[in-house]
Amino acid sequence: MVALTRPVPVSRGAEAEIYLVDFFGVRAVVKKRVSKPYRNPLFDKVFIQSRTRVEARVLSELYNAGLRVPAVLLVDDENGVIVMEYIKGIRASQVFDSLDGNALVSIAGEVGRFAAQMHNMKIYHGDFTLANLLLSDHGVVVIDFGLAGYSTDIEEYAIDLHLMSRSAYVADPEKAKSFTEHVLEAYSGSYKGNAEEVIKRMREISIRGRYVDRELRKTVMRERYIE
Amino acid sequence: MAAFQREHVLNVLVPRADGTVRILGIESTSHTFGVGVLEHYDDVVRFLANVSSQYKPSRGGIHPRESFEHHVNNAYKVLNEALNRSGLKLRDVDAFAVAVGPGLGPCIRVGASLARFLSAYFNKPVIPVNHAVAHIEIGKLVSGIHDPVIVYVSGGNTMVVVQKTHRYRVIGETLDIPLGNLLDTFARETGIAPPYTIDGNHAVDVCSEWGSEYLPLPYTVKGCDLSFSGLLTAALRAAKSALPDKRRLGDVCRSLRETAFNMLVEVTERTLMLTNKEGILLVGGVAANKVLREKLESVANYYGVKYYGTSPEIAGDNGLMIAYVGLLQYLYGVRTTPENIVVRQRFRLDEDAYPWLP
Repeated sequence: MVALTRPVPVSRGAEAEIYLVDFFGVRAVVKKRVSKPYRNPLFDKVFIQSRTRVEARVLSELYNAGLRVPAVLLVDDENGVIVMEYIKGIRASQVFDSLDGNALVSIAGEVGRFAAQMHNMKIYHGDFTLANLLLSDHGVVVIDFGLAGYSTDIEEYAIDLHLMSRSAYVADPEKAKSFTEHVLEAYSGSYKGNAEEVIKRMREISIRGRYVDRELRKTVMRERYIE
Repeated sequence: MAAFQREHVLNVLVPRADGTVRILGIESTSHTFGVGVLEHYDDVVRFLANVSSQYKPSRGGIHPRESFEHHVNNAYKVLNEALNRSGLKLRDVDAFAVAVGPGLGPCIRVGASLARFLSAYFNKPVIPVNHAVAHIEIGKLVSGIHDPVIVYVSGGNTMVVVQKTHRYRVIGETLDIPLGNLLDTFARETGIAPPYTIDGNHAVDVCSEWGSEYLPLPYTVKGCDLSFSGLLTAALRAAKSALPDKRRLGDVCRSLRETAFNMLVEVTERTLMLTNKEGILLVGGVAANKVLREKLESVANYYGVKYYGTSPEIAGDNGLMIAYVGLLQYLYGVRTTPENIVVRQRFRLDEDAYPWLP
């Protein structure tokens, strides 16, 4: 491992600690997954290792395909460490409610195309929310692939779209509708499979929680059955 | 089991009432028929009685009709016992609160009918209460934690909830089966239940003591939502190949519990980081589980926040919690007449606004 210049985390998430470091002269981000005393030690080890491996693999595959994600510089899956490129930008969740119409449409377009291209590679993000979009000088960069994975199941793709639309709604209910529409429009344009099917599943997911209004659920399930 | 305090100072904002207010609460949404009585004076709430009778299936899970029959047969006895302990007469009660959902239709109907009758006969208002809100509010009252991350786990619910602008907001919840249901179904299908609890320990906990190894099982967290059905299938498959080896079955139980609880813990941690709340409050029937309590307590210690798990007496379904939310609603003038009491099986806790929430 490289000697870290200053081992004080700049932020602490639920799963990992984030450090800003100087990595051979390059500004870099270190994401270190931490062991938790309340998890079974073997569970803890398997959990940290598999999440780190998947995240690193997904990041590098997307990066190599030319999508805007941070470049991976170093991986140490034994210790749950990923070193990646530092991206200067602001989280979309922080400025969403103050974006003007044009910016909103252009961001939505980028987000929709990103999701489609990612899904074309059989990759899902798992936590695809406004908070994980960095607005940088080079456009939208997607970060935090901690819950990402590989799947051919459209369910996972639909969940990505659902999370994005829900987080937009939380940030600004007024703007959410048009934003989501533009995301889905761009998505349909770039997704190679049947985009309509994914979007339909996304609507189904949003009514899936416990004790959701019975009539609404009945209607959706009936439509599904009839088909 | 430490007995909880009988007197609590209200820690939510309510309009002042003149004199003493006495509320009788009725709970019947699932396997428990319960009646609770409390009184309110100044800013103090005093618990006067909390009596319950539980339907215990001899085999299989809860049969709604059998549970309904149990409630019908025990309602009078439970009501009488609660009145005796409280030292009150029915005509001393200012309002009747009743849980109208979420839950099993036939069961809720028993409580609703009783509440309608009492309200009509004594000409006192009746207050419809959300069962989930009641679990949370009684936890907040007893713990003294005003604005926590709420982990609500029971046989019918698994959700992580916070309060925002007079409403409950569900941050994460199960997309299929609830946690309590997962444990119960696993225990039933593998033949280690019923009875589902032995001396306050769940059958899965008892079984976990037989094993020591950890086996990897599917772990499904989607954003902040949980899915337990794949875990159940995988655990049942593992159990089938383990039987009749008691130790290997113990390993499966232990791993199932570890995986399921860790999923819930991850969502709780995420919510904690997201919202910066002052503590973690564990409520609902599964809050009686010792292992889960310890886990969440050490999560709280790890993040340096407060922790409170409701004690078994009020963690499970009971009438007192219904009476308490009835009181809050009563003080805010939410009272109605018998014809407006409607059974709401799918009554979500984020459906309505509650004026006392921060």
